[in-house]
Amino acid sequence: MPRRRRVSANDDSTRACSKRARTTVVSSRKSSKLASHHSPLSAFSSKQCITWFHEYTNADEDVIGPEGMEKFCEDIGVEPENIVMLVLAWKLDAKQMGFFTLPEWLKGFSEILCDSVEKVQGKLEYLRSILNDPVQFKSIYRYAFDFARDKDQRSMDIDTAKAMLTLLLGRQWVLYSCFHQFLEQSKYRVINKDQWCNILEFSRTILPDLSNYDVDGAWPVILDEFVDWLKTRQQLHIEVAQM
Amino acid sequence: MSLKSGIGKKDTKMRIRAFPVTMDERYVNSIWELLKNAIQEIQKKNNGGLSFEELYRNAYTMVLHKHGEMLYKGLRHVVTDHLVIKVRTSVIMSLNNNFLQTLNQAWNDHQTSMVMIRDILMYMDRVYVQQNNVDNVYNLGLMIFRDQVLHHGQIKDHLQQTLLDMVMCERKGEVVDRGAVKNACQMLMVLGIDSRTVYEEDFERPFLHQSAEFFRLESQKFLGENSASVYIKKVEARINEEAERAAHYLDKSTVNPIIGVVEKELICKHMKTIVEMENSGVIHMLKNHKTEDLACMYKLLKRVDGGLEAMSQCVSSYLREQGKALVTESEDVDTKNPINYVQNLLDLKDRFDHFLHESFGDDMKFKQVISSDFEYFLNLNLKSPEYLSLFIDDKLKKGVKGLTEQEVELVLDKTMVLFRFLQEKDVFERYYKQHLAKRLLLNKSVSDDSEKNMISKLKTECGCQFTSKLEGMFKDMTVSNTTMEEFKNHIQAMGSNLSGVDLYVRVLTTGFWPTQASSPKCTIPTTPRQAFEIFKRFYLAKHSGRQLTLQPQLGSADLNATFFGSKKEDGATSTLNKTSSGPRKHIIQVSTYQMCILMLFNQRDKLSYEEIQTETDIGEKDLIRMLQSLALGKLTQRILVKEPKCKEIEPTHIFSVNDQFTSKLHRVKIQAVVAKGESDPERKETRCKVDEDRKHEIEAAIVRIMKARKRMQHNVLVTEVTQQLKSRFLPSPVIIKKRIEGLIEREYLARTPEDRKVYTYVA
Repeated sequence: MPRRRRVSANDDSTRACSKRARTTVVSSRKSSKLASHHSPLSAFSSKQCITWFHEYTNADEDVIGPEGMEKFCEDIGVEPENIVMLVLAWKLDAKQMGFFTLPEWLKGFSEILCDSVEKVQGKLEYLRSILNDPVQFKSIYRYAFDFARDKDQRSMDIDTAKAMLTLLLGRQWVLYSCFHQFLEQSKYRVINKDQWCNILEFSRTILPDLSNYDVDGAWPVILDEFVDWLKTRQQLHIEVAQM
Repeated sequence: MSLKSGIGKKDTKMRIRAFPVTMDERYVNSIWELLKNAIQEIQKKNNGGLSFEELYRNAYTMVLHKHGEMLYKGLRHVVTDHLVIKVRTSVIMSLNNNFLQTLNQAWNDHQTSMVMIRDILMYMDRVYVQQNNVDNVYNLGLMIFRDQVLHHGQIKDHLQQTLLDMVMCERKGEVVDRGAVKNACQMLMVLGIDSRTVYEEDFERPFLHQSAEFFRLESQKFLGENSASVYIKKVEARINEEAERAAHYLDKSTVNPIIGVVEKELICKHMKTIVEMENSGVIHMLKNHKTEDLACMYKLLKRVDGGLEAMSQCVSSYLREQGKALVTESEDVDTKNPINYVQNLLDLKDRFDHFLHESFGDDMKFKQVISSDFEYFLNLNLKSPEYLSLFIDDKLKKGVKGLTEQEVELVLDKTMVLFRFLQEKDVFERYYKQHLAKRLLLNKSVSDDSEKNMISKLKTECGCQFTSKLEGMFKDMTVSNTTMEEFKNHIQAMGSNLSGVDLYVRVLTTGFWPTQASSPKCTIPTTPRQAFEIFKRFYLAKHSGRQLTLQPQLGSADLNATFFGSKKEDGATSTLNKTSSGPRKHIIQVSTYQMCILMLFNQRDKLSYEEIQTETDIGEKDLIRMLQSLALGKLTQRILVKEPKCKEIEPTHIFSVNDQFTSKLHRVKIQAVVAKGESDPERKETRCKVDEDRKHEIEAAIVRIMKARKRMQHNVLVTEVTQQLKSRFLPSPVIIKKRIEGLIEREYLARTPEDRKVYTYVA
């Protein structure tokens, strides 16, 4: 393979990153243009991935912060609140919402073979489709708790919880809007991990008419209270309807 | 047929003559005629001239020659003829005249003759009857009598009617021929031949039916006319009468059935009515202490299924009503005074224990019912644990009026019975600790022995854990005494005298004594404070690593006080003023707070409330209470005076020493304004503390159980926890669940991935 060193304006930055393992990756053979690494058909390049990473960081930092995140979302054309972002974060196994570290970035994007905006855009459908697999969805859902909570707290504050739940369960759980209302009027200020996980279980196993809800089912108290609240309301609705 | 085997031997000793194999028919008939006549003579009671041996032999011969059947059939004929033609006729003729006697006579005669007939035909019985599986002679006779005489239409009905009428007459009080009835009943029994069906059908069943009817009517009459207790006595009488009748002249096997009928008609069907009768039923009896009547009713209702059930239910609902009335806060019932509250409950228990013992024979069922009722209403009022503790407190304090030591002991034992019914024993424990602390620290216990006695009673009930802290409190008191001894020696050795302060310090171990949220503040005057500092140094030198915190809310002080009397106006001498107005000295016993307040007046004559507050730094609530008892109490207690002279205390009001103060006693004790029992806010606080403690106890129980079992299903865990804690309080499943969730959050427990209802212990 003829070795052609391309002299490019980006050479300095590439050399600067050369401290890391210089895996020999040959970009597109088709063009000799410097911008060729943006082509969706080119193979994955860690080097490129890292370079791309630094488009969103400040100075020499190894972390993408909220501003960079915003830009990233803009670039790929996805709103930050979109659930695809959560899936992506999960893929990256990002520890903190709003931040991507370099290792996370590299690991996640290598898995889906993306080192450019276009490639990511090409993968968005795939990422969305992951949500349809119940096992993966559960994993994402559980991940979301640790991801979204404030790191010095053990539990997630109620507003974040409501937002996350809306994102994750809003469309697929029939009773979600009721649950949301219940949370609004309840005195709960935080949701802990156990409650979080059981909400998913509840949404998956209990029928909308609550007919298979078992009082001895060891559901967390918050869900018992939800059921009582819902039943009272349903009762009122029946009474009103009969009037 | 035996034949001699040998030929020619002419042995004349034993000659077995061969019987003729066949018998002449005429011969047979003649034998039969003979027998027949004999039988008939017997039946006519003319057996005197007959030879038993001859008859027996003839019968024997017939059977031997295979004429058993003829004999048997002939016998049957003869007997039947006799019974039908002679006997039955005569019985029928006597239908309206001596019927029973005639029948009985016929029966007796029949029996007698059949015995004789059987005797002469015994060989037939043994051989022919056995071989041909027919009824033996006697039974045959019985059956013929039964079928031809007894069960002959008119006779059967008439017999039944006669017997029933006679019983009815006797029930009404007339005298009847019991012997005749007895005879007839026995006849029926015998005619059943190994069964009692004849007796049953012909007599017993209609008898029971008629009796049932009779008693049904009688019961209604009785009930309508009589009170419950009278009714019960009448029923008892009836039962005895019927039992005696059946035993005497009906068949003994009828005793139980007839009693059953009586019980059913007179008791079973009217259980509720008897129990609930207005103005005479169970409730009336309980209200009016009719112990004996209750005992009678108990005995009666015990006979039938469900009788005691009905009675105990009635007792229970009455008891619950009474108990509830005692514990419910209302206008007319005194539920504010704990002593009366508990005393009322003790009295109620005494009443019902008396009933239990005297009327219900210590019946287990009733005992359980009474216990569960007490448990029910005692726990309706959440203040019961506090009140119970106050009651005991009252009995353990000095000056408990009018009771000897044994009486106190007795009362405390009874109180322990109530204690057992408490569901919230942990609340009781908290209050008991508080009250005990007060008694110990204010030196109010009547004696250490009685205190220790009480604690050992509690220990027996609840185990060591309950009482270990209480015992710790006692130990602290003893240790303090020793410490003070050493301190005295220490001071003497030092040669100081604490500036004239006679100091006594009690050191309390924090874990044992009821805790305050934080020690209240208070600025102690210099002299006592310095004395205390000396002690503190002494103590901490002995026990390094400990911390001493003064508890001003608990102490007391004796002050030497001089009252200077009224100031004389210049020039005015009132001759009316007879009392000496020179300075008077008293010793006043006050609390620590009051000491702080009063010593301020050594420096200043007048102080406003605000100033006092600033100087002493005592909390508002306590300060007001202290000032009230110093300035607004009885005249013999009024150390201070307040301007203006109203009841309320405002920050600007001025206090000064009451130089006019007089008292007959040299040593005056200032009573603190103390409420019996807690105020509502205090109660709330105690409740909060109890709830906090319970949270910890539940969690400890959960961890304990899970550590041992490693894995457990949710429901099982909840049950186990409840079981472990029920001797102290009853946790609800919801609260237990919340604690489990808390423990999951803190990673002591986890749900198993396969089944969210199963928990595992996280090491």
